Order: sequence, then structure tokens, then C-alpha cells
Amino acid sequence: MSQPAEIVAEQLTKAYGRFLAVDNISFAVPKGMVVGFLGPNGAGKTTTIRMLTCFMPPTSGTASVAGFDVFHDSLSVRKNLGYLPENAPLYLEMRVVEYLQFRGRLRGMDRQSIKKRIDEVTELCWLSDRKRWPISKLSKGYRQRLGIADALLHNPPVLVLDEPTVGLDPSQIRETRKLIANLAGLHTVLLSTHILSEVELVCQKVIIIGRGKILAQGSPEELKQQCAQRGPGSRLILEIRGPADQIRSALAALPGVDQARVVSDNAVCTVELVGKIDGAMREQIAALVQQRGWALREMRSAGASLEEFFVQITDPGAAAAA
Amino acid sequence: MSTTLALAKREIAGLFYSPIGYIVLAIYLLFVGLLFSLLVMQPGAVADPGPMFQWNHLILIFVVPFMTMSLFSEEYRSGRIETLRTSPITDFQLLMGKFLGAMGFYCVVIASSLIFILILSLFGRPDYMTVLTSYLGLLLMGMLMVSIGLFFSACTQHQILAAMSSCVTLVALGILFQAISYFLGAALGVSWAWLRTLRHVLRYLAIEPHMANFSRGIVDSQNMIFFLTGAGLFLFLTYVVLESRKWR
Repeated sequence: MSQPAEIVAEQLTKAYGRFLAVDNISFAVPKGMVVGFLGPNGAGKTTTIRMLTCFMPPTSGTASVAGFDVFHDSLSVRKNLGYLPENAPLYLEMRVVEYLQFRGRLRGMDRQSIKKRIDEVTELCWLSDRKRWPISKLSKGYRQRLGIADALLHNPPVLVLDEPTVGLDPSQIRETRKLIANLAGLHTVLLSTHILSEVELVCQKVIIIGRGKILAQGSPEELKQQCAQRGPGSRLILEIRGPADQIRSALAALPGVDQARVVSDNAVCTVELVGKIDGAMREQIAALVQQRGWALREMRSAGASLEEFFVQITDPGAAAAA
Repeated sequence: MSTTLALAKREIAGLFYSPIGYIVLAIYLLFVGLLFSLLVMQPGAVADPGPMFQWNHLILIFVVPFMTMSLFSEEYRSGRIETLRTSPITDFQLLMGKFLGAMGFYCVVIASSLIFILILSLFGRPDYMTVLTSYLGLLLMGMLMVSIGLFFSACTQHQILAAMSSCVTLVALGILFQAISYFLGAALGVSWAWLRTLRHVLRYLAIEPHMANFSRGIVDSQNMIFFLTGAGLFLFLTYVVLESRKWR
């Protein structure tokens, strides 16, 4: 990581009384990257974000955004930050343009640049046709987009988005993700979510947090590799036409296969293999099936998904039971 | 400064968008009209609007809490406080924006009573300098009332609780203290020194004696200092509450 970090957290801790909401976490978000901040509900994502956005001071530890300390230089941090809080709270009685004008003036922008940027961000967030609408009449999806437009208004180097796709319908979710993915390079984005596929789709780096601690961080690919190493091994699903019990025993006898299980058996049987299965193994299996005179219909790797990894590390109990 | 004005402008607009603003205006006009017709607009009387201003606070103590209750409470409840406090504005700017916004609306409310001055001027020649000092008095008194409302609004996310607390405080300042001091003076004959002191303190804290001077055309620094220090105290307390909320 040669890129300078835009968001740095060092031993950040937040305690509510005795309860440690965020427990001594450290991470860095490199410039121009979209980083996913992933964790189950109540893991401490929002608390961490609130400390980074200067909404609340940390109990201990330090953090800096765009090179400024969140505690000592909070105004500079807030100038360089666009923040979409959870649920995008807005002034419902205002119109879209009025709201953005208000937000622009709060950030000390001049009239011309406010006007110019409103045109740009409403275009970017697909809001152009709703500019004159009262916010109370907007659907949840449009409100969320207005929240993102607001965060982008002053063209900040750093964006922090807290669960930007919650409450949206599938097509809106897809559009919002596309929008966020497009921001990479121009902005440094910290994206909090509890949806895994979102992270896989838009993020170049993932930080997984659970019970106030960082459990893992790295690119989605790195995490998948870690999962394969830690987990029971990779899985292979086969669909073969032939006698089920013979198929099962033949496959179970192969070296490297720890477990073979018939998932379904109606004329065509589906077998799940678990073990150290690599490319050479697959060729061997294909040859075996042909040699026995069965017919191979499908072979696919159901290998380590990020989801399994997520469940495994955020909830060790559930992973052991599975 | 421009951020403070942007906040204030939004606050005034917010009151005009909501029904609360209009209800407040209507109730105020109704009761000022009542004061006007009962105390001022009498056949053969001198064209003196003084009593209308002297007792104006009796209406405002019940009206101002409804103007100010949502100032911070609603921001807390809706979560918009997060977008405000993560914007590059200081707590002082936020406080001043809210205060000026509420004061702006307050000015609209008290200015609505100009209609009665107009009516009076059709029938007689009121002393316009006295009218001017009366409005100065109302403005200063409004600063105290609005800052009290602002303080209670910053304390809770429940608007009704904020309105009730500021109403109780304003009733104490507007009615209770004066009534008690009157009672002490009349019934006890003021024989004990500490009772006399208490009576003086309560009388100083009551709104009416301060407002009475303004409505008679007297601009006394003592009255101005009462309203201004009171407003300053509650604005300071509001600032402390805002700061302390961060640390919870």
C-alpha cells in the first residue's frame, strides 16, 4: 500500500459506561479506494463512523481524516468529509433544491459554486427530475440518493456512507451500488454495510468488525483465501447420472476427498465433495466418471464464499454447528 | 456569519411551513386583541396602548414555548442533529442560528400586533415613542423567553416535554414570582428581614415590573440588564448542554 491513507484509526475505543462499543480498533483506508466496513448489526460500525465524522469523541485512541485529527482539528475534518448517516435524516418540508442550497451554505460554499454543484450532484444521483419536489413526497430511494447528493455536494475528498442501501428496492440498490463504485478513484469512500454481496461488488478492501473488534481485513480475494485455509477446505458439487451408492463410494475413495455426500438422488444424483480439491483432482474425477460409463452433467466449485467466512469469524458458535 | 444566517433562515422557514407557526400567530393575535379591546380601546379613554404591552407577557409565556419546542428536540429525534454536527459549523454557530431563527419568527409574531396600533391611530394620536420603547421591551423580553425555550429544547428529544418545561419556567417568571411577592408584601406586613429580601428578589425576577417601564416609555438600564443577562445565562446553559451531549 504505497498510497497515503485518507482515514486512519489508531487504537480507537468508545465505551458507554462499562460496555465497550468499539474496542481498540486500528485500520487505514488508502486514498481513492472504496472500503467496506462490514459487520453484523450492533457490531460497532455506526459508533466507529460517528467517531470518524466528529459526531462523538473517542473514549481513547486517535483518528484522522484527510490528514486532520478528528478531535483537535474537527472543523477541518468536517470540511473535507461527506457523510451520509444511517436512514438519511432530512428536512421533510423543504424542496430538494432548497435543502441542497441550505447544506451548501452550511459548508460555506458561495452562491455560484452551490448552483453549479447542485446541477452536478443531482445529475450524478439521478435526481434531476425531482429537483423541485418537496422531500416529504420523495420515496425512500430518492431520499437516500438525496442524502448521497448532499454528502457529495462540496466535493469532499472523503466520503463516509452508513448503510446507504438499506430500505431500497433491488433496482435502486443496484443503481446506488453502481454510483458508489463510480466514486472510486475520485473519492475515498468508507462504506458501512451488513450485506456481503455489496462489499464483494463495490469494495476493493474489506474491514470486518464484530463485537467492537476488527476480525479481519484485506481485499475480498484475500479474505476468501483466508477462509479456504481456515475452513474445512473447498467444496465441489457434482451432478452425475448413474447409481448413487456406487458413485458415492468411488468418489469417497479418491485421495484428498475427506467427505462425499449424496445430496439428492432421482435418476441424476448430486454429490457434494469436501476436501483439498484442486484442478488436477477435477480432471481425475471427470476421467473416473467416463471410465465407469456414467454421465457427468455438471461440476462446480462451491468453494469458500465470503459469506461463510463472515459467519465463521463473526459467530464462531454458528460456524461450528454448521 | 453566513452559516449562522443560513441556519436562522431555515428555522424561520420551518416555522412557516408547519401549522404550529400559524396557530401561534393566530392565538397571539386573538389574545392581544382581547387585551386591546378590554384595556386600551375604551370610549373616552386616552389613546395609550401601554396596558396592551404591559400585560403582553401573559400571552407570550404560553405562546413562545410552542415556537421553541422543536428547535433542538426535533433535530435529536429525527437524527438530523447528526448531519448538522458533522457539518463544518461550530456549536456556537448552531446555537446562534437557532436563536436568531426563533427570534426572527418572534419578531413577526410581535409585529403582528402593529395592526392594533394602526387601529388606535385611526381614532386618536398615541405617543409613537412610547410604542417604540414598548416594542424594544418586547424584543428584549423575547430574547429571554426564546433562550429559555431553546435551553429546554436542547435538553430533550421530546418536544412536548420541552414545551411544558419552558412553559412552567415562564409561568414562574411571568406570574408566580410576582404573585408570591405581592402576597408576601400584603399578608405578612414584611416584618422579617429575610422575607423582605426574598420579596425583593422575587419581584426583581418577575417579568412584569421590567416590562411595565418599557410600556410607559421608560428605558431603564436595570430592565435591559435583567432581560439581557437572563437571555445570556440561558444561552450559555444551552451551549453547555450541547457540548455535554457529545460526551454521552
